[in-house]
Amino acid sequence: MAGGSARSARPRRSATIRRLERLARHVVPHVILIAFSAAIVLPLVWVLRVALTDKLTAYKIPPEWVTPRLDNFVAIFTEYPFGTYFLNSTVVAVSATLIALPLAAGLGYAFARYNTGGMALRLFVLSSQMLPPVVLVLPLFAMFLMAGLINTWAALIFAHLTINIPFLAWILVAFFQGDVAILEQAARIDGATRLQAFVRITLPVAAPGILAAGILAFILSWNEFLFALILSGPQTNTLPVGLASMQSHRGVEIALLSAGTLVAILPVFALLPFMRRYLIKGLSLGALK
Amino acid sequence: MKRLLLAGAILLAGMGVAKAKTIHILMETVPDTRYIQQLLPEFKKETGIDVDIEAISYIDMHSKLVPQLIAPQGSYDVIVVDFYWVGEFTKAGWLMPLDDLVKRDNIDLGRYVPKLLDLVGHVDGVTYMLPFYNYSMAVIYRKDLIADPANQAAFKEKYGMELRVPQTWDEYKKQVDFFTRDTNGDGKKDFFGTVIQGQRGDCISMQWANYLYANGGEYHDKNWNPEMDSPQAVQAMKDYRMHMLNNSPPGSESYCFDEAFNVMAQGKAYSFVTFNILYAGLDDPKSSQVVGKCGITPNPGGGLNGGWGWAIPKSSPDKDAAWKFIKWVESYPIAKKRALLGGAPTQTKIFTDPDVVAKRPYYPTLQKILEGVKDFPVFTYTTEFVEETGRELNLAATGQKEIGQAMKDANEAFRKLAIKDGKLKE
Repeated sequence: MAGGSARSARPRRSATIRRLERLARHVVPHVILIAFSAAIVLPLVWVLRVALTDKLTAYKIPPEWVTPRLDNFVAIFTEYPFGTYFLNSTVVAVSATLIALPLAAGLGYAFARYNTGGMALRLFVLSSQMLPPVVLVLPLFAMFLMAGLINTWAALIFAHLTINIPFLAWILVAFFQGDVAILEQAARIDGATRLQAFVRITLPVAAPGILAAGILAFILSWNEFLFALILSGPQTNTLPVGLASMQSHRGVEIALLSAGTLVAILPVFALLPFMRRYLIKGLSLGALK
Repeated sequence: MKRLLLAGAILLAGMGVAKAKTIHILMETVPDTRYIQQLLPEFKKETGIDVDIEAISYIDMHSKLVPQLIAPQGSYDVIVVDFYWVGEFTKAGWLMPLDDLVKRDNIDLGRYVPKLLDLVGHVDGVTYMLPFYNYSMAVIYRKDLIADPANQAAFKEKYGMELRVPQTWDEYKKQVDFFTRDTNGDGKKDFFGTVIQGQRGDCISMQWANYLYANGGEYHDKNWNPEMDSPQAVQAMKDYRMHMLNNSPPGSESYCFDEAFNVMAQGKAYSFVTFNILYAGLDDPKSSQVVGKCGITPNPGGGLNGGWGWAIPKSSPDKDAAWKFIKWVESYPIAKKRALLGGAPTQTKIFTDPDVVAKRPYYPTLQKILEGVKDFPVFTYTTEFVEETGRELNLAATGQKEIGQAMKDANEAFRKLAIKDGKLKE
C-alpha cells in the first residue's frame, strides 16, 4: 500500500512540475516581452495622454487624470497648418518612394547580374550616404535656388531621391543575388527573353523584398528633417519641420506637439500590417522554400 | 515640364521683370508672430501686397537663414534677427543698411527704447534693424506669498527686515532662502525659493548674466578686456551655485527656461530670474495654476537685455515691398494693436499708452525693466562665446570645476574670441 501510494505520488509530483515548467515556458518569455514592449509602447501612451490634456496638466506631478479633450487635435489643424504639412509629407514621401523603387530595382539588378561598374561603382553610389547630409544640402540648395525650385515639392522629392536610390539599390542587390538567379536561368532556357525573365520571374519573386524596401524608404523620407528644413518654404514644409516649430522661445507647446506627433505617426501605423507581412518575408528571402 | 516653366517664371519674377505681389518673411513660432499674422489683412488692404510668414522653431532658424543669406538672391524679403546673430550677420555683410530709407521716410528712431535700438538696431553707427520685440530678463515672483502676513512676520523675525518686492540683490537672496521649504514635513524640500536653469550653453549663460549684473560685475571693460574672472563674477557664480544646490529643484543643472517655467507654473517655487515674455504664460489658466498670483520686477543691478530686430537681407528679392512692410508693422497703430494682443513692445510710448495699460497693467513695469537692462557681449562670435563660457559656467555651478578656475578659463576663452574678432589687441 505504502509503495503504491509512493508510486502514485511520484507521477502526481512530476505532473505538477511539468505544469510549472509549462507555465514557466509561457510566463517567462511573456514577462520579458511585456517588459520590452512596455519600454516601447509606454512613451507612446504617455504622448497620447499629453495630447488629450493641456500644458498645465501635462506637467503635473503626481500625474492627474482629467477628462480627455480633443482641443489640441483641432488646434493643430486650425491654428497651425498641419493639414498642409501632412499633405506635403505624403506627396513627398510617396513620390520619392515610387520614383526611387523602379530606378533602384534596375540599378540593383544591374549590380547583381552584370556587376556593372564593379565594386567601385557600388561604393560610389553609396558614397553620397557616407557624407553627413549637411554636406549635401548646401550644394543642393544652391542648385535648386538657381533652378527656382526652392519651396517646391520637386526640390524635396529630388533631395529625397538622393537618399532613397542608393539605399534601395543596396538593399535590392541582395534580393537579386539570391536563388532567384537560378529561376531566371530556367526561364531563359524555356525561351524567355532577358526582359521577360526579369518582369515575369525576378520581380514577382523579389516582390516582398521590394515592398519591404519601399516601406523602409517611405519611412526614411517621411521622417527626413534637414533637407526638408532647408529646401522647403511655408507651402512645402513637411511634418518633421512643423513638429519642430512647436518648440519656441516661449517654451515647448507640449500638448500640441504630442497631438502633432500622433498625427505624424499615423501613416506609419497604417503601414504596420504590410510591414509585418512583407518585412519578415522579405528578410527571410524564401524564394525557393 | 509644367514645373520647369513654373520654375522659370519664379526665376523671372525674382529677377524683377514682374513686380512681386507677395513678400516672404521667416519668423519664429512665438505669439508675437501670430499677432502679426492676425493683422496682415490690414496691410493687404493698404498696399495690395500679400505677406507670407513662415514660422519655424528658434533652433532651426539659423540653419535655414544662412544659406538664404549667402545666396545672391534668397527667398526672404524680410527677416527677423535675434541679438545673438547681429554681430555675425552684419560683419558678413548680409543685411542692408536702412539709414537712407529711415531718412527718406522720416522715421523717428527716437520712438524706440534706447537700449533696444543699441541692441537690435544700430551697429557701429549704422542702422541695420528696427527693434521688433524684446525679451529682456527680470525677476518673476509670487506676490501672494509676499502679501501673506504670516510670511511677513516670520521674515521680519528671521532677517530683521520687511518682506517686500525685492529691491536689492541681498534682499532677494534672503527671500530665496526664506521661501525654500519642506512643506509636508517628509525631510525633503518641496517648495523652492528660485529655479535655476543650469543647462550648458545658452540656458545657463542667459540666467547667470543676471547674477553677474546683480553682483556689480561686467563681461568686459570699455576696451573689451574680459572681466569674467573678477571678484564680482566669482561671487556671482558662488551665489548661482548656492541657489542651485540649496534653493532650486533637483535636476536644475539640466533645466532650461521651459522647465524652469513649468516649476513656477505648477506653484512649486517663489520666484525665478527669467525672460519677461514668459510672464504672460503664468497668467494663462491653460498653462499655469498660479494665475493672478505673480508679479514681475527688475533684476536688482539690472537684467539681461534681449530682443529681435526687423531687417532686410541684401539677398531680399523685393526690398521696396520689404521696407513698406517694416514701416507698416512698426507704425504706431499697428505696434499698439500688437501690444494689445499681448506682444512685447519696443517703442517707449506704447508701454504707457492708456489703452495698453488698461489691458496689460504690468507694461509700465516692463518699461522700467528695459531701462535698467544691460547688454550681453554682442560680437561676431557670440554663438561660440555662449558655447564655451556656458560650458565653464555649468562646470562651476555643478561643482565639477573649482569656481575660481572655471571663471579664469571662461575669461581666457572670451579673450581668445575677442582677439579673433579684432575687438581686442593681443
